[in-house]
Amino acid sequence: MHSLLMPFTTMSKSGSDTRLLRTIDLPYYRVEVLADGLQSLIRELRAKRFDTWAWYSLAEAADQLAVQQQAPEELVAVGHLKERWNQVGVIPYPHQLSTAKRVIFEMQGQAILADEVGLGKTIEAGLVLKEYLLRRLVKKVLILTPPGLVWQWYYELMEKFDITAGIQRTQWDWEYADILIASLDTAKREPHASIITSIPYDMIIIDEAHKLKNSATAAYRFVNSLQKKYCLMLTATPVQNDLKELYNLIGLIKPGQLGSYRSFKSNFVKDKRTPKNPQQLKELLDQVMIRNKRNEGTVQFTKRIVHPIIVSLTPKEREIYERVTEFVKESSRHTGLANILPLITLQREVCSSFLATALTLEKMMASMEPDQLEKPASLLRDLAEVKQNSKCDALERTIAQLGGKIIVFTEYKASQQYIRYRLERAGYHTLAFDGTLSRGKKQWIRHMFQKEGQILVSTESGGEGLNFQFCNQIINFDLPWNPMRLEQRIGRVHRLGQTRDVHIFNLITKDTIEEHIVYLLHEKINMFESIIGELDTILLNLKLGKSFESTIMDIFLAHEDAKQIRQELARFGDRILESRADIDASSLWELL
Amino acid sequence: MNATFKQLIFDFFSLCELEPLEIRRGIWQVNADDALMKELDGWRARGRLLQFTFEPDLAETFGADLIVPGSYRLNSIVQLVRRQGLLSRAHIPHHFFHEPSIRQKAMAGLNPGGRTYVVNSSIAYGQYIMLKIFVRLKGLSSQESIHTRIVDLSDARVLRLNLPTHLLQPGGVDETLLRKRKYGLKKAYNAAVENILADLDEQGHDWTLAAWERLEEEKGRLREYFENQSDSPAYEAKLQEVKTRLMPTIQMNAIRAAFIYVPLFQYRLILVRPDKTETSQNLSCDPISSLCLFH
Repeated sequence: MHSLLMPFTTMSKSGSDTRLLRTIDLPYYRVEVLADGLQSLIRELRAKRFDTWAWYSLAEAADQLAVQQQAPEELVAVGHLKERWNQVGVIPYPHQLSTAKRVIFEMQGQAILADEVGLGKTIEAGLVLKEYLLRRLVKKVLILTPPGLVWQWYYELMEKFDITAGIQRTQWDWEYADILIASLDTAKREPHASIITSIPYDMIIIDEAHKLKNSATAAYRFVNSLQKKYCLMLTATPVQNDLKELYNLIGLIKPGQLGSYRSFKSNFVKDKRTPKNPQQLKELLDQVMIRNKRNEGTVQFTKRIVHPIIVSLTPKEREIYERVTEFVKESSRHTGLANILPLITLQREVCSSFLATALTLEKMMASMEPDQLEKPASLLRDLAEVKQNSKCDALERTIAQLGGKIIVFTEYKASQQYIRYRLERAGYHTLAFDGTLSRGKKQWIRHMFQKEGQILVSTESGGEGLNFQFCNQIINFDLPWNPMRLEQRIGRVHRLGQTRDVHIFNLITKDTIEEHIVYLLHEKINMFESIIGELDTILLNLKLGKSFESTIMDIFLAHEDAKQIRQELARFGDRILESRADIDASSLWELL
Repeated sequence: MNATFKQLIFDFFSLCELEPLEIRRGIWQVNADDALMKELDGWRARGRLLQFTFEPDLAETFGADLIVPGSYRLNSIVQLVRRQGLLSRAHIPHHFFHEPSIRQKAMAGLNPGGRTYVVNSSIAYGQYIMLKIFVRLKGLSSQESIHTRIVDLSDARVLRLNLPTHLLQPGGVDETLLRKRKYGLKKAYNAAVENILADLDEQGHDWTLAAWERLEEEKGRLREYFENQSDSPAYEAKLQEVKTRLMPTIQMNAIRAAFIYVPLFQYRLILVRPDKTETSQNLSCDPISSLCLFH
């Protein structure tokens, strides 16, 4: 038996290493006679390696079987991956399968996958890639993603599609890896860009492609110069503010689909946000773009059920909370907004655990002048003396009433350690998940949690990119102020593949800033119970000029009275909702 | 197809000298060693008791590998099998043919009015090569097929007749009996390719039409997009991309080959013509192509 795993019937190689014996250009078609099959035979003949007739005959039968399996208009990948999907719990949705079919059989592998958030664009792209790989139509593949999604792509491809891709680390990887995942930011820079543009790729996949909407950017020029046979671009927001963005994006996939820019403007643009001849434009877009929407028989997400748990602080805890808040306000008056970040952290931590607060305070003190140390030092001493944590007491009570698997989310590592200490002391076995763990360990812990764990205590950074659909209960020990981060938490369990309603337990300390945050996120913008699509676009559209957290902190610092804070947050919430309505009402979205 | 793939699986294990055991109705078990599992599942795999079934319900119940069209395990076995048997050889023994009949047929009408004497006779083997060629017709969709061509290595001509495969016996023959081939593998491959192309040409070009239409459409759009810059390198690059993707193409690649040694009956003849002149000739008869040639 030949031990080489090298395929010998590779029909499609990247241009760089395609070895053609000869090419014949005939009036109706081109003939490509590939050399590699013949060369393998010559090698065998020179070495006088004759295989037995029995193996030869069996291989002939296998050839026939392989060709028969390639039904021209069916996805070979579906049958091939069926068992793997059973093992890892993937159920492809009909809209994903039909998207993959359209991309391959109608669009010739050139498409913008513009499904709404949460409908599984990555699955669709993975399916198309797998199909092309199985049909041996692609070999050299480049996947460009934002830096934070590189590993997520790696795991998705490996787990769901049995595709082992490389992750770009050095400039040598571009040439040597057949399937490579890299960050777009790295790829567009020299010396990488020159190497990449010289390689003919069989397929290019670009995630978060809306970052290429501006044709004047280096990223756009770089992607436009790539040599590619098939290209998939993934974005939930192919157009945000200007029709030109859409024109640019489509120019990368299929230049000329919308004509020259001049003709596009005269035929389809009334003003930058209002299309002319929308029906005609939509027809042209449909030839290169697929957008699946929720509520079109695509995906039925399960419900999100919110359970607020109000925690009352003890007098001692209340006193500490007030003193920390006072310290934050006073410090912000002295230092101004330049050093606001540690103060925001401190204000958020005091609603989480005093251990986390104390550690941050200690760090802050290291950079203070000696004459400023008196107050924080006394605060630190008092923090150390507090033995009770009402929130943890409430957490223990909540967990005692719940069965099944639970993920406890906290923002802070110190809080995570404290929670674990308390739960272990109460007799629970816990697993910890945070950003410092290696990828392998994260996978292992996820596996342990799935198989035999009950409680996973996770910081958010640790949860990014990993999915836990097998669990349907989460407890927010503390709350992130930014709705994007909150959605990331919930999204770990409430996503495609979740078959049960998701229960979200929020521990909220009474009469603290946390109550105001819950008012904003839950009562005003209903973050917990509904999936707000295009959240990043909505927040971008707000044009805050600073982070979401800083905006909230400003409101908090500017007003002493709880009523006033509530009113300001209500106004801010209204702005978010207006931004959302504004985007929803835009005639640009009607195109999609 | 069902029977074919099941047979293929059992033949495969049999060639690996493994005997699958049906441990219960529909569930088969075979002891696959490290080497086999590595070939099937990659370098990390280890030897194990491989359980397999052809029935989806049983696969789930017993955790056995499912072998049905499209399944991972069938695909891994098919791919492994396809890596085997690149080059092989077989022969047709002389004793399958009745030599006196061949001799009689060869002599008949050879020397009208004269007499023919067989001084001596010998046997040899002529060399054919059977080439399996993968062909993909790539239009807007693609069609794949495998074509077989048998080429006579003494004249690089493609055999029009079907080889009586039921007569083939595995393995080679005594090399001293082989008649030296005049043409090599490459020449034979080219002859086979030309032959297949001629056949495809006869079948028509309908498969190219949709792709041509799309190609022209996209070229037009590209010209419009680049307006007055149709001589720019960017335009050329994009045009090339479009052509690579849409140009109707026939791709051909050799998959495997087998040398077929066919019997030759050789005679040293003295021909006495009606005018009493004598000539000496060597005659070679190939019962497969029913050709007798002087040489």
